[in-house]
Amino acid sequence: MIRYRFGVEGDLTAPSDDRLAVGDPRVVDFLTKLARKLLAPAVARRHPELGSLGFFLRPAELHRAIARMQHPDALVFPRGNVFHVPPANVDTIFVYSWALSALAGNHNVVRISERSAVAADTILEALNEVLADADPVIARTQRMITYGRDDAVTAALSQWCDLRVIWGGDNAINSIRKQPLRPSARDMTFADRTSWAAISADGWRAASPKARRDAVVGFSNDSYWFDQAACSSPRTVFLVGSETGDVREQFVELLLDVVDQRGWAVDASMAVEKRVNAYELAATGAVSAIDFPANTVTSLSLTAVPQAPRYWIGAGAFPFAEVGSLLDLVPAMNRQDQTFAHFGFQPDELREFALALGGRGVDRIVPLGSALTFGAIWDGYDLPREFTRLTTLAA
Amino acid sequence: MSVFTLPQAAKEEALLKELSALVEHHREHCEPYDRILAASGYEPATSVAGLPWLPVRLFKNLELKSIPDDEVFKVLTSSGTTGEVSKIYLDKAAAATQTKQLGATVQSVLGPKRLPMLLVDTKAMLKDRRSFSARGAGVLGMATFGRDHVWALDGEGHVDVDAIREFLAKHGGEPFLIFGFTYMVWLHLYEVALAQGLDLSNGILIHSGGWKKLIDQAVSPDEFRTRLAGVGLTRTHNFYGMVEQIGTIFLEGPSGGSLYCPDFADVVIRDPETWEELPPGKPGLIEVVSTLPTSYPGHVLLTEDLGVVHGIDDGDWPGKRFSVLGRLPRAEARGCSDTYKEAA
Repeated sequence: MIRYRFGVEGDLTAPSDDRLAVGDPRVVDFLTKLARKLLAPAVARRHPELGSLGFFLRPAELHRAIARMQHPDALVFPRGNVFHVPPANVDTIFVYSWALSALAGNHNVVRISERSAVAADTILEALNEVLADADPVIARTQRMITYGRDDAVTAALSQWCDLRVIWGGDNAINSIRKQPLRPSARDMTFADRTSWAAISADGWRAASPKARRDAVVGFSNDSYWFDQAACSSPRTVFLVGSETGDVREQFVELLLDVVDQRGWAVDASMAVEKRVNAYELAATGAVSAIDFPANTVTSLSLTAVPQAPRYWIGAGAFPFAEVGSLLDLVPAMNRQDQTFAHFGFQPDELREFALALGGRGVDRIVPLGSALTFGAIWDGYDLPREFTRLTTLAA
Repeated sequence: MSVFTLPQAAKEEALLKELSALVEHHREHCEPYDRILAASGYEPATSVAGLPWLPVRLFKNLELKSIPDDEVFKVLTSSGTTGEVSKIYLDKAAAATQTKQLGATVQSVLGPKRLPMLLVDTKAMLKDRRSFSARGAGVLGMATFGRDHVWALDGEGHVDVDAIREFLAKHGGEPFLIFGFTYMVWLHLYEVALAQGLDLSNGILIHSGGWKKLIDQAVSPDEFRTRLAGVGLTRTHNFYGMVEQIGTIFLEGPSGGSLYCPDFADVVIRDPETWEELPPGKPGLIEVVSTLPTSYPGHVLLTEDLGVVHGIDDGDWPGKRFSVLGRLPRAEARGCSDTYKEAA
């Protein structure tokens, strides 16, 4: 059973005579109106993550993305048909990946999970409201659907598309990949990822109280918006320097305060979940101290950097480890690592770190507070490029 | 003979001493347990509520035992809702003690003699030894406290009215034991007894297994009791227990409505926000303590069940009396983890 959530109902894989261009004004117009809706104070207050999405869809951002699609040596066209399978629970991801693809002029089908959360419904409402006075081509070429376990639908859409965009986890990717694509088509996959935070002890000590607080506010957004389970949410916090106990103490104290002020809460089952995971890490010797100053914040002391867990251990659970310098972390990073959120480092230190990693791990190095800020370059892909195709012309 | 004898103050004094000794014992013999206590900054407790607890789910993820491998006499398993399995390791002494104390607990309401026993279940579920379930273990464990057993359900799981009639004809004139899971008793025994006019008035029912299925049918514990009394079954005892604290059950008193703690066990209701003990009347998470787990560190366990203490030293038996209110739902993250298994 297919439930149509957006766009014209009917045969999703039928050939279409509609043509959109790269940066099609009808799409730009639609996305601009959508941004305005999402940035409305009432919406942004209820779902702050939709505010970020609205920001991403402002005209200036859209035109920047369109500019990125241009190529000096080739003509640029839409890739064709794109089938998106976003993750179930990060409600906003499907819009980012769809919007960029639509902007590139593609015909899109987005599968929205049956288990999507409240924010997703709010987005769909906004999308449909905007659709009412949009060019009808949008509804004909952009479709969002929900369906249950139905391999037949997935198979048909996999045969239809030129590009299939699959967001993790790894099991989901593997299972969807069992459906073959046409020989000319390909997958763009976003696998399970782990993200980190690092604080320069020197930088922290030198920072003003306000700068510290701002950093912790940013870190708390990064961590709590998606229960610390988004791929980009930091898990372990690396304290870089020596004798960093004071930094950790101040950081945790500020975090408790900020989380309390924001009114973020952790329910009983999440609190138990965190205890189970913390005790388990202690039992295996991965952590040497566990501290539960409040249900919202669990603080753990890793016995060594390689013990940093790459799996989710609950909302508001932070292992800490001290290292002498960023370069000491290089051997511990691998391909699974995505975002590295930092505070208090010099640009040179970060650059040196990135060069030492050499692309073998970590795709994004961003300040605390920007971990969840979606960008057109994501997981190592230049998305505007991925959503377009190039034609060369030699006269 | 009863194991429900100690008033709360005397019980806590005895338990604190024994359980504190068990903490030391397990620290010495179970390294992961010792690491957990060391990491959380354990200091000796001055009250039962102050003793360090383990989340019960830890037994699903870790191998926790305080005996060497060659002394493992029995490994008990329970299947969880998500397919994880608790593993509980018993040596000979622990296995013997749990059987003995379970016996003493049920004899508190059955008397010292083995009674003829009607099992509200089917023999068929015991057949497959490999998939031997918690249900099977529960039935078999209890079966040792009865004699002349008769199964109320046939091999296909249908009510065997003839078997029940025959059992009642033979034993119905004297006290007899009925055992089964609460929803099985309701679905299979109560409705048949009502329809067929069976005389269960000499029966003593011991039942367990959670109320969820019954609450879904709008049958409350009170209603269950009243309706069973309506078919003559006035002596009914619900109990609460788990494989992670095998041998310890919290038994409903004769006048109903409350579960009681045997002398070697107790409950602490915790506030899931502050983790402090809650006073009577305030619902919270149930922590169960028992002196029986000597071969694994299961002596102080935080369950994922919600409960409330109704009163202390003011009921059928001394000590705390409480109810189980339901299960805490499992925490689920948002986020891009493997939330998409159904996709394909």
